[in-house]
Amino acid sequence: MLELFIFLYQFADAFALLTLSAAGLMIIFGMMGVINMAHGELMMIGAFGAARGFQAGLPLPLAILAGGLAATLVGLILERLVVRHFYGRLLYSLVATWGLSLILSQGALIVLGPSTQGIESNFGNFLVGDLSFSIYRIVLFGIAVGVIAGLWALFRFTTFGLQARATMSNADMAKALGIDTARIYMLTFGLGAFLAGTAGALFSLAAPVQPSFGASYTPIAFVVVVVAGSRNIIVGLTLAVVMLALVKTAVTINLNILGGYVAMLVMALLVIRFSPNGVADWLQKARSLIKKPSTGR
Amino acid sequence: MTFSLINGRIEPGSSKLFWFGFCVLLAAAVVVPHLVGRYTLLNLNSFLLMTFLAIGLAFLWGFCGILSLGQSAFLGIGGYAYGVIAINLAGVPGQTGLAFVGAIGTTVLSALLVSWIIFYGHLRGVYVSIIMLVVTLLFETFLNQTAGPQWTIGVASLGGNNGLGRFSGAIQELPSLKLGAGEAAVLMIGKSKTFFYVTLALVVGCYLALRLLVNSRIGVALAAIREDPDRTETLGYDVRLLQTFAFCIAAGLAALSGILYVSWGNFITPSVFGVTSNILPVIWVAVAGRRSLAAAVLGAAGLQWGSQALALQGEYALVIQGALLVVAVLLLPEGLISISNVVSKYLGKSSNPNLEQMPQKGRDHAA
Repeated sequence: MLELFIFLYQFADAFALLTLSAAGLMIIFGMMGVINMAHGELMMIGAFGAARGFQAGLPLPLAILAGGLAATLVGLILERLVVRHFYGRLLYSLVATWGLSLILSQGALIVLGPSTQGIESNFGNFLVGDLSFSIYRIVLFGIAVGVIAGLWALFRFTTFGLQARATMSNADMAKALGIDTARIYMLTFGLGAFLAGTAGALFSLAAPVQPSFGASYTPIAFVVVVVAGSRNIIVGLTLAVVMLALVKTAVTINLNILGGYVAMLVMALLVIRFSPNGVADWLQKARSLIKKPSTGR
Repeated sequence: MTFSLINGRIEPGSSKLFWFGFCVLLAAAVVVPHLVGRYTLLNLNSFLLMTFLAIGLAFLWGFCGILSLGQSAFLGIGGYAYGVIAINLAGVPGQTGLAFVGAIGTTVLSALLVSWIIFYGHLRGVYVSIIMLVVTLLFETFLNQTAGPQWTIGVASLGGNNGLGRFSGAIQELPSLKLGAGEAAVLMIGKSKTFFYVTLALVVGCYLALRLLVNSRIGVALAAIREDPDRTETLGYDVRLLQTFAFCIAAGLAALSGILYVSWGNFITPSVFGVTSNILPVIWVAVAGRRSLAAAVLGAAGLQWGSQALALQGEYALVIQGALLVVAVLLLPEGLISISNVVSKYLGKSSNPNLEQMPQKGRDHAA
């Protein structure tokens, strides 16, 4: 019984880590096909913003929000100055955002120094049997579920969501129908940056904040996005995160943390080896099988 | 016949002026070691040995349309394999030669495995780039935690983030490459003129061989794949096999850099798998011009030299190189080499078709 709880707790922890690390990257990739290589640096900016805000006396939720907004601001500036020139030219966008990432991380090292900061976590622990568990990890899990639900609602019910989905499925047609696709792209990039910054701010309670802060989350985020594919943001993200979190949890418990990461990568390689468009493809195939025989497309 | 292939249409630079410049540069390079001190020579050697990594990346990216963001992984695999094999063969005749062959073999085998996943899995371009980056970062994480006696291959201890070689504090001697046998053998020590001349000869040899390759029928097919893989496949080319071949060539070149790196410094650490080691070759190639092998060589050597000069001034070298990369892809998407194209157009000479702007649609697919 206790073992089951430990597994669930670890799974929830991995689920939160993967979802929050990848959500911002996933939104931008799903909409524009751009993999934002500066994602980790936006997380770092969010973490620094939250830490500074908290030290300046902001209450914790506001400090986290401040971190998210700081990353949004930087993200919007990057989008206007650089990224918007590379929509539709995917390899160029990779290289350009990688350059931005180098500027931001090294710039942070110069401006802020290699010092570490952090926010004292004051959430405490709870006991199950003789073992104590962090309450904050459960909070993070709740937030991760909330992020997925919130994104779903955003794309399902709002005008922005409708226009975004139209742009995603056929940008030229959406433009012809009067949707300002450039604005949609900008807002999406801003949303991705906000999610990245907020994730960084949330993780800053559990990890030391330093200029290389984002580097520990970006590989995970890349793996999630690769497994998820770009067909369907919400479904792909959820499926990918659940699968990867299960693998990570099982291997981490039975082996070690590094083994968990290796297992996630192997899993990702196997998925894309046999399903290059990611797991979201599976659901669409399954759905089309159930509904009616496929009619070509 | 051979010369006309070397001087074909795919690689820019076929005019008399180009070959004149080539000879002048080569002559200058031959004289340089006699004009500089030992410390500068040591640095020049380290810049020169990295050009194989750059030329392989330019070949892969500019000529085949495959952008690997983790190309330094193959440098690391080659370097580590060379070190591990050489340490295990201590005392055996032909020790470093066997290690050299083993290292190239190991790297090409790894490249084949990666190719099976990325090319035979029909992955899109962006995925290939990202997967390579994730793989190399995982290598770094893995090797960083290999400190301790349980992490050994034969008698070579991997040494965690101290890496292989003298910083591990172990008694392992990581030997420099020894070429030839008996009286004629030359030892590739990092501070020697021998190192410089042998590496220079290898650079020129690899450059000319790659020119041959890109101008051959295979090279033309690879360029076709870059522009439109589906159409090339329809025309009857085995796209995946050709991509695998190109990927292995580039990996082998990276491994050559790795072996020479170990031979140069007698150590290698997991940082060769890190982000910085992987972004630098991309910067050299993107800034100089990915569609020219000569530009890749010059870009690699020149930017390393420039960044070292900057690093002596302060910590801004990486920021400036990042900015250089962003500015280059924004304003000069084909790199500095495209300026020469403009100049030759201005002079009324025929420009190289490979450097001209491709139609937007085809470019999206490949670039």
